[in-house]
Amino acid sequence: MNSSNTAQTEGPHAYPRAATLELRNVRKVYPGAARPAIDDLSLTVPAGDICVLVGPSGCGKTTAMRLVNRMIEPTGGEILLDGASVMERKPAELRREIGYVIQQIGLFPHQTIADNIATVPRLLGWEKQRVATRVRELLELVQLPPELASRYPAQLSGGQRQRVGVARALAADPPLLLMDEPFGAIDPIARHRLQDELLQLQARVRKTIVFVTHDIDEAIKLGDRIAILREGGVLAQYAPPDELLAAPADEFVASFVGRDRALKRLALSRVGELALLPADGTAHGDTIAPDTSLRDALSLLISDGDRPLAVSDGNGGVAGLVSLELIRGALHG
Amino acid sequence: MAEPVIPDFGRGSSCVRENGTFCWDWVNSHWGDTLRPALVQHVVLTLIAVAVGFAIAFTLALIAYRRGWLTTPVVLVTGLLYTIPSLALFQLLVPFTGLSRTTAEIALVSYTLLILFRNTLAGLAGVPEEVRDAARGMGLTRRQLLWKVELPLAMPAIVAGLRIATVTVISLATVAVFIVNEGLGAPIYAGLQQTFKTELIAAGALCVALALAADALLVLAQRALTPWTRFARSA
Repeated sequence: MNSSNTAQTEGPHAYPRAATLELRNVRKVYPGAARPAIDDLSLTVPAGDICVLVGPSGCGKTTAMRLVNRMIEPTGGEILLDGASVMERKPAELRREIGYVIQQIGLFPHQTIADNIATVPRLLGWEKQRVATRVRELLELVQLPPELASRYPAQLSGGQRQRVGVARALAADPPLLLMDEPFGAIDPIARHRLQDELLQLQARVRKTIVFVTHDIDEAIKLGDRIAILREGGVLAQYAPPDELLAAPADEFVASFVGRDRALKRLALSRVGELALLPADGTAHGDTIAPDTSLRDALSLLISDGDRPLAVSDGNGGVAGLVSLELIRGALHG
Repeated sequence: MAEPVIPDFGRGSSCVRENGTFCWDWVNSHWGDTLRPALVQHVVLTLIAVAVGFAIAFTLALIAYRRGWLTTPVVLVTGLLYTIPSLALFQLLVPFTGLSRTTAEIALVSYTLLILFRNTLAGLAGVPEEVRDAARGMGLTRRQLLWKVELPLAMPAIVAGLRIATVTVISLATVAVFIVNEGLGAPIYAGLQQTFKTELIAAGALCVALALAADALLVLAQRALTPWTRFARSA
């Protein structure tokens, strides 16, 4: 019998580089549970965006993510990947097209780094030479030295293992990436570096990413859009970080983003993006770089005797001044 | 000139004739007709027992891994078999399978089942949950998960079971002489019934050497099959 399903053995180049993910009224009720784990969840992640699912523990954020690649089967509703329902796919085939990164990484201890990264390409039946080329590319992409290819996971540091986990998820160039608290077990300094690297990586590969975390700061830093879930898997608010911080939908969201939400908002903007006050003649004292965050500028202003700060133009001159009023204005503009 | 007539005490050397504790020349002259055939038979007895025992225990473990309720009854039955004294088990089997090699093998196989079953199952259960989750999340089917991830990771535990089972069978197979006149049990038994001890000592030493060699071989095999275990897991 002929199957209408066209087997995808040609690899990633037949795929779009990023896919639109749409959840429509998705529900998950575990058998015997009094309350649903996910209740009527609807949201759309535009292709190439990072959507962060965030919320207190027990809010169902990981469950919501795992519904997408059918690691958990939904009770109701629809999940569409570029308009096609994931329920019409064989789970194993679907998962090979969706990158998957978990907190504990789950590298295969018995396989070398190269073999770990090659997992999905081999499942898809790529030729040997193509797999080898792809493994080299990916090690470079996640900034790991090529000699790690022949090592085993136990020989790597936590941060290196996490990068291998990301490389492995990207191996077959999937249009969608699921990441479940990938940096949760990493020390704070390395975590910030990995977050920066993920943003740089995303600027190059432009995947649609669903990222789960319980850390609102991580969500604000990484998310193009943030979905805040409350207990019982109910969507409290779905918005870009700036909107979330400027106009929390309710008391729950306000308390979850924190009372310092104005400061968090300021951290999202740079002084170079402001309409600076004209500088009167020469700069007195130090200047700050145009990519200084408004939050840092505010900190300098209140510790520096309330004098406007000179912002350099990057060529040794002064682009203008930033004052307390200007920063306050940015919050309300 | 005619040879002087000397009373014939057999073709043995002076050591044999004087009933020495251990006579190398007896070993040399009886290697081909007694010791080597016994050793080969012993190896065959062991190989068959471990291979059949592994096939049964491995299959049961794979099924029990999927259907957990099977574990307790299998452990109970194989545990019971393990506790039956070997001589008693031989006697129990003779009415059904006679004084045959089959009888000996059934008894030997039954002693391997508990350890091989338990170790295989423990090896599979010891696969870290996050490894299993990542494998499923990347699109491995159940079968691929088992053969490409779970069984390779269970290998150290499985080989550890094989080592114990093999050494146990090599030692127990000497008792099979009460059923069939095969293996190193035959020269040991013969040695026990005479005052000349070389046969007993030589066969016993061969048995120990065989156990050590088999164990070393399995260790080497495991090192070759599981190169990753050389690196201590640090996370």
